[in-house]
Amino acid sequence: MIGFILADLRRLWLGGIVVVLLVALATALGVAVTLQERSLRLGSARAADKFDLVIGAAGSETQLILSSIFLQAAPLPLVDGAVLTKLAADPRVAWAAPVGFGDSFAGYPIVGTTMSLVSNTTSGFAEGRMFALEGEAILGAAVDLSLGAEIKPMHGTAETGGHTHTEIAYKVVGKLQPTGTPWDRAILVPIQAVWHVHGLGHDHGHDEGHEDGHAGAHDEEHHHGDGHDHAHEGEEHHEDGDTHAEGEADHAEAAIQLVVSQRQKHALALGPATSAHVESDHQGGIDADAPIVETFGEGTPGLPAILVKPKTIADAYRLRQEYRTGNTLGVFPGEVLTGLYATLGDAKMVLSAVAAGSQGLVAAALVLVTVIHVGQRRRQIGALRAFGAPRGSVFAIVWLELFLLVVLGVGIGFLVGLGAAHIGAQLFTAKSGVILPVGFTREDLRLALFLLGFAAVLSAIPALLAYRQSPAAALRA
Amino acid sequence: MLSLKIDDLAVSFPGLSAPVLVLDGLEIAAGSRVALTGGSGSGKSTLINIIAGLERVQAGRVVWGEENIADLPEGRRDRWRAANIGLVMQEFHLFPGLSALDNILLPARLSRAANADLMKRAESLFATVGLKRPGQHVETMSRGEMQRVAIARALLRSPGVIIADEPTASLDLESGEAVGDLLLSVAASTGSTLIVASHDQHLIGRLDRRLTLSGGRIVADTERKEIAA
Repeated sequence: MIGFILADLRRLWLGGIVVVLLVALATALGVAVTLQERSLRLGSARAADKFDLVIGAAGSETQLILSSIFLQAAPLPLVDGAVLTKLAADPRVAWAAPVGFGDSFAGYPIVGTTMSLVSNTTSGFAEGRMFALEGEAILGAAVDLSLGAEIKPMHGTAETGGHTHTEIAYKVVGKLQPTGTPWDRAILVPIQAVWHVHGLGHDHGHDEGHEDGHAGAHDEEHHHGDGHDHAHEGEEHHEDGDTHAEGEADHAEAAIQLVVSQRQKHALALGPATSAHVESDHQGGIDADAPIVETFGEGTPGLPAILVKPKTIADAYRLRQEYRTGNTLGVFPGEVLTGLYATLGDAKMVLSAVAAGSQGLVAAALVLVTVIHVGQRRRQIGALRAFGAPRGSVFAIVWLELFLLVVLGVGIGFLVGLGAAHIGAQLFTAKSGVILPVGFTREDLRLALFLLGFAAVLSAIPALLAYRQSPAAALRA
Repeated sequence: MLSLKIDDLAVSFPGLSAPVLVLDGLEIAAGSRVALTGGSGSGKSTLINIIAGLERVQAGRVVWGEENIADLPEGRRDRWRAANIGLVMQEFHLFPGLSALDNILLPARLSRAANADLMKRAESLFATVGLKRPGQHVETMSRGEMQRVAIARALLRSPGVIIADEPTASLDLESGEAVGDLLLSVAASTGSTLIVASHDQHLIGRLDRRLTLSGGRIVADTERKEIAA
């Protein structure tokens, strides 16, 4: 029987291919929609996995998550640096790390952060080591640069008309292992370097207190800035309308006013550092050889976001509650993403409906084609019966022939859908760094079984027609 | 090797007032060779369909050997036909894409009756009907060769009855003659009852008995001796 079906399909190969293609495309559409949506959901959830609680200034929750976890460049209001100081001292907090954005290099975002964040959120180094000096940088796994490379940060991005901090260069000292998050595409530098590049918080981490050009709350204490260069830069930033815009004007004024006092403080702050260091600071904005200080005192500058690892779940809820008042915003990334998924889910439903509609159309077309086909083969079917083929065999032949084609189509459709979802995921990963886990689950098995069951019923229609034909009548036709 | 006895048969089709076939009584002896003749609309094809078990018997009895096929439901009638009737038709109804040998074996395979013996028999039948290349695809054969394949297929399960419906009508004179020879010789060698519906006077003349139908009734029933006489 199989031999007969195969001979028949060989004879009707063109029609068979068309049927398989139709089924494959309709299946692939539905499969790709399902896989893509799921992988987007899982991938973004995984990207947010390491970040339990994000605290930023009052504003959009979604934007805070998109900027801090997905590193999407956008101006964020700044949260007072004192919040970080307070969080760092909070017994409920395992670690709290500032993140500073705004600069980029060769299309990769430069993120200022701390050693504790790097060691707590990544699985270690693929090569090299952690940054130890202010002028050192480490790369996410997906950054296409090598150890020892020089990175000249560009303010903003090339597309948004940013300018390059030509006077500054970070040296790459390490490359992280992949994490599957957008941070794989980031260049990580010490947060204090970011501050210094932008002329903020130059007296890093010293208890004598230093100003905060962004927050504006410590105006009296402004003894910051590193000379005219940075005052000038501050103004440029302002024109750029970048993430720091809100605080820049303050900072510029403060910098001019407090040059003298800053110089004194700076020398004091660096302690054993040579005067050459002080000089280079004045010219370049960062002191490449300065040690990194990660105790954040009172004068910590304003921050776009603080990533917090609470010690327990209860602590997480309490902290979020505490920092949801007034000028700060505490959010669970997972919660914000859930809200986004609801929107994504609506879009998926529309797409799924379109896919289901196309599958229905294909099914209807198949029934039409096969019913006509069976009509054309009446004589052949009648002859089979006349020569002694039992009715069951005739039913099985017609049924199997169509069912095989549909099964083949569904199989190819699943592969094509998987391939399409993979390609989509790769494009997405290249753009965002978020690794989208594309794969089949039990849910897809159910879809496949449903499609096959549907195909089995569908194929039975022409088979039943053939079954019911009287051989004599069929031969007369 | 089966005898046929028909009693009170009446076949009518919906929409037609007069029955297309009425036979009060007809007997065909086992092993005899009978020609059916008559113009179109004479009821000849209907009679072929009835005695081959292709058409359900509405009224009357059609008894092959001991079996009244009028009593059989469709499935059992199919099985009975597969086992007892070798059918050869004007259009050969061979299946393209399959080799000659596979065509011979196809009905038996679909009935799950094919076994090693039948396979061997198919090969020997292939030689019997005068063909040489069992692997040849049927669509590449001449019409005469195709009818030989069809005859081999009809003979595969050693049927007690061979029914041929216009077996030579679509063949040229020479091939038609060869096919006629073949039918007579295989029927003679197996002792099968042979019933041939035909317009081919040459073929009809070589059979023992001739039934002429007209308007759904048998209007003449002659033995060959009488024809010859």
